[in-house]
Amino acid sequence: MKTRIFLPLVAAGFTAGLLAVSGCKTTVNSVENAQKEGQRQMVSDSRVITDGSLAKKVSIVGVNQSMTPGGFLKVQVELLNKTRSYQAFNYRFEWFDANGMQMDSLSPAVIPSTIEGKESKFISAVAPTAACKDFRLKLVEN
Amino acid sequence: MKKTVLLPIIAAAIPFLAAGCAGTNAHYVQTGDQHNVVTIGAINIQDYIQAANEMTGKLLASGALDRVANPPAVLAISRIVNNTAQQIDTDLLTKKIRVAVLDSGKALTTTTMGLGGTAEDPMAKGLQQENEFKNDVKATRTPDFTLSGKIIQLAVKAGNTSQSTYSFQLSLTDAKSGLAVWEGEKEITKQGTRSSVGF
Repeated sequence: MKTRIFLPLVAAGFTAGLLAVSGCKTTVNSVENAQKEGQRQMVSDSRVITDGSLAKKVSIVGVNQSMTPGGFLKVQVELLNKTRSYQAFNYRFEWFDANGMQMDSLSPAVIPSTIEGKESKFISAVAPTAACKDFRLKLVEN
Repeated sequence: MKKTVLLPIIAAAIPFLAAGCAGTNAHYVQTGDQHNVVTIGAINIQDYIQAANEMTGKLLASGALDRVANPPAVLAISRIVNNTAQQIDTDLLTKKIRVAVLDSGKALTTTTMGLGGTAEDPMAKGLQQENEFKNDVKATRTPDFTLSGKIIQLAVKAGNTSQSTYSFQLSLTDAKSGLAVWEGEKEITKQGTRSSVGF
């Protein structure tokens, strides 16, 4: 009697597991020029990790910055999905002036984003004013 | 025998069912963050914020507003066409852009010139005209640029899954030459079977 009840359950679970595995495991192959023309101006960063689970999945590879023609700070952060699964996360940039005061003129834009398994991805933002000198990027797991 | 198997399963499911049915009391959330309600069939406030932020960033980064003889540039807001299935106030997008552009120090927006000769601020227009008449001078500075655009919705459905793409398109036109000197587009796609809270 027990076997009659459990067998369909086990079969259903196995099928669901297979579907989940096949649906989420997608990794990315890429190619790029080996001799780079552009030189990234890398920024030494300090990191605060409170969500170890997210850090294990979507890690920060490096941060570089440049100035726009209008004199605004532009920041680019390279992220790497260390897992083989598609990941969804949210991010938000915060900006600070020379005195360390926060300079967000609009409501903070929390941007939803996704990254494929083993994919390297860049996210960037431009400071809202030329007075912004520093930044902070916040990442939240979805 | 069947009872011994099913009873624990039902007992375990009851708290989840109860939690699912229970509503939440009204409370405040930060506008635009991941705790806001997300709907597929409508543009949510976080979509406007995201579109305005990204397009303002690109506009400022382009340096288009810097190319004027007498900075800061003067900007007039032209028509923003709503091509979505819903009634929306396009100021939800344009006001955010205006605030950000003004804060950046790169441009000022005129409130005395509007589409079809209507002023956003009729009192300011009246005072300006009165001032011009009294002093017999043409003090009005004509806009260097106009900002126009369109919001488009593309909705599709596959089975129970609905998907909507909202395309926010903006053009900055040089008022003297009539040429678009900057164009921006931000597309936001939402997919799901029902509305939810969070991204």
